[in-house]
Amino acid sequence: MTTKLSSGEYLCLEGDKASTLYIVKSGMLVGTSKLAPDAPLQNFGPGSIIGEFGLLESAPRELTLRAAEETEVLEIDQNTLNATLEKRPSWLKSILTFLTARNRIAQENKRKNDLIQALPSLLYIFSVYLKETGSDTMPLPMLHGKILALNNTPAEETDLLLESLQKLGLLKVIGEHNADKAVRAESLQIIPLLYETLRYRALNQKVSPNILSMTEQMVLSTFVKIVRETKVPEQNGLCTITTEQLKAEAKRSMHGLTLTSRTIAPLVEKKLLEPSSAFDIHAPLESIDFFFADFEKILDLIELNRIFPLLDKQLV
Amino acid sequence: MITGDSHQQIIPPTRTHVKAGFVVYSPVTHSRNIIILDEGELAAIERNNGIKSTVFKMHPGDLIGVASLLEHEDFRYAIEATQDSTITVVTEECMESELKTLPVWMLAVIKSLSSKTRKLKEALHHTRCQNTLKSLAEYCSHLQAKVEYPLEDFLREYQWITKISKATVLEDIKALARRKFLVLTEGGEATTLRIVNPLLLQIYVDYQNAVEKNVSWAPFTLSLNQKRLLVYLSSIDQNEKKDAPDWIATFMAQKFKADVSEWIHMLQLGWFKAINENAFAPNTDKIKYFLAALRYETNIRGVL
Repeated sequence: MTTKLSSGEYLCLEGDKASTLYIVKSGMLVGTSKLAPDAPLQNFGPGSIIGEFGLLESAPRELTLRAAEETEVLEIDQNTLNATLEKRPSWLKSILTFLTARNRIAQENKRKNDLIQALPSLLYIFSVYLKETGSDTMPLPMLHGKILALNNTPAEETDLLLESLQKLGLLKVIGEHNADKAVRAESLQIIPLLYETLRYRALNQKVSPNILSMTEQMVLSTFVKIVRETKVPEQNGLCTITTEQLKAEAKRSMHGLTLTSRTIAPLVEKKLLEPSSAFDIHAPLESIDFFFADFEKILDLIELNRIFPLLDKQLV
Repeated sequence: MITGDSHQQIIPPTRTHVKAGFVVYSPVTHSRNIIILDEGELAAIERNNGIKSTVFKMHPGDLIGVASLLEHEDFRYAIEATQDSTITVVTEECMESELKTLPVWMLAVIKSLSSKTRKLKEALHHTRCQNTLKSLAEYCSHLQAKVEYPLEDFLREYQWITKISKATVLEDIKALARRKFLVLTEGGEATTLRIVNPLLLQIYVDYQNAVEKNVSWAPFTLSLNQKRLLVYLSSIDQNEKKDAPDWIATFMAQKFKADVSEWIHMLQLGWFKAINENAFAPNTDKIKYFLAALRYETNIRGVL
């Protein structure tokens, strides 16, 4: 069936139920989508085909189509499709089904890939904003604009990423109206730390030193527990606990594990725990009177190690 | 109905019975056939260092080789019958003869699905950025001024974020260097990059945004009177607070053309910030932004 459209006339609306394929015979159709209001218009000239998924899967229209000039469109409906396929070998239908399914999979892979690819941009922009301003909150429209400029990531995708990071407890989107919305980081350090960790992995093809082993995490969690329970005062951001406290608490909370110099060594090496005197991996741990550490940094590292294994799963 | 050439002779597919263990397809042969399983069971097999593993199993009605035949995509697994099976083999010639008799629209649908999938797959390896120069300017606008950044490190991080090719980034760096927004100091592996003024790069991004949206950009639409007002504002104390009538009176005393509409325009441009309900003070950051945009207009427009 051939449909003639005058300039400006609509052929279909985005989201409409669809079961026909359009082939532009002459003229020009212009496609727009509410999902990408800032995207350039899509033009469909003679020979263009639109709506394969409507014909094959009755999928709703992805675009609103409007004639930019006098346009002639050939419509193929599902009855025509079925009648044609009936006269053909059955494997032809299987091939069409296969091609459709394969395209859907490719679309889904692209969507996931775009989301993962947009994460470094978001973390970069948010990190530098936190550093530049010292504020923990960035206006959402500004974040949208900067990520769009940097990586061409549309606002809808940025929002999906923010939603995932919010579920991980890294940030919170606050405000009700779009123009007033803002993104608040749960801590000033965790976003830059996550960016740095991903950057290190990507650029060096190895795990960042920020990613700790289970034992390292347990020792640091023990340190945090002691500081909190005994209300150790902070001095210049540093907290100090005795080796005796550390060993005793480790025995309680680390399933009877006995702390040794060997267990502590990686944390000393990474300068996460600073010993009160020269550290020797072969000497007994008791030779060190106490350890001190940057409490906030340890909290951020523990948080980073909590969310890091969940990140990929949360994103896709 | 529009159809293809119906006089073309159709080459029929071949129906074959195979025994369990028979290799139906081997990636070594590079033959391009569609294999449809009619009865029995087939398995896709992968061999790694001599170790054989089953990747997936095929059941009656399943088919493989469509992408291989239609798009010449490599199929990397061997297909073996795990039990006595019946298969239909659609060869390249058979497919071609069938396609030639299809209505043109159906041929177009097959081609379109195939090409859309190929484009989606290719897009996975390419950048999404269309304006790569704007992207680079946005990235650089967050770097520190007067720091020598090693070019290799810079490229690796920026390419990781944007996936823009090295050649394009190098071209864009040169384009920004020509605009005097950054300085490239050549030295082989020790080549460094230095940002002159991050604000200029941010201004450039904003200008590019306006150009893309085809809207006029405020700093380049100021009248002579507004430019003179801007220069005057940059010379007064940023802590000076006055209400709107007092500011208008101040401007008029300085022989500027100033009325309520001009005042509203200045507020819209962000040259003043509200201190409380009635008092306003000059917004130094915004004033500096406009002054820099005017001073470096030729660099921003790229008409050096």
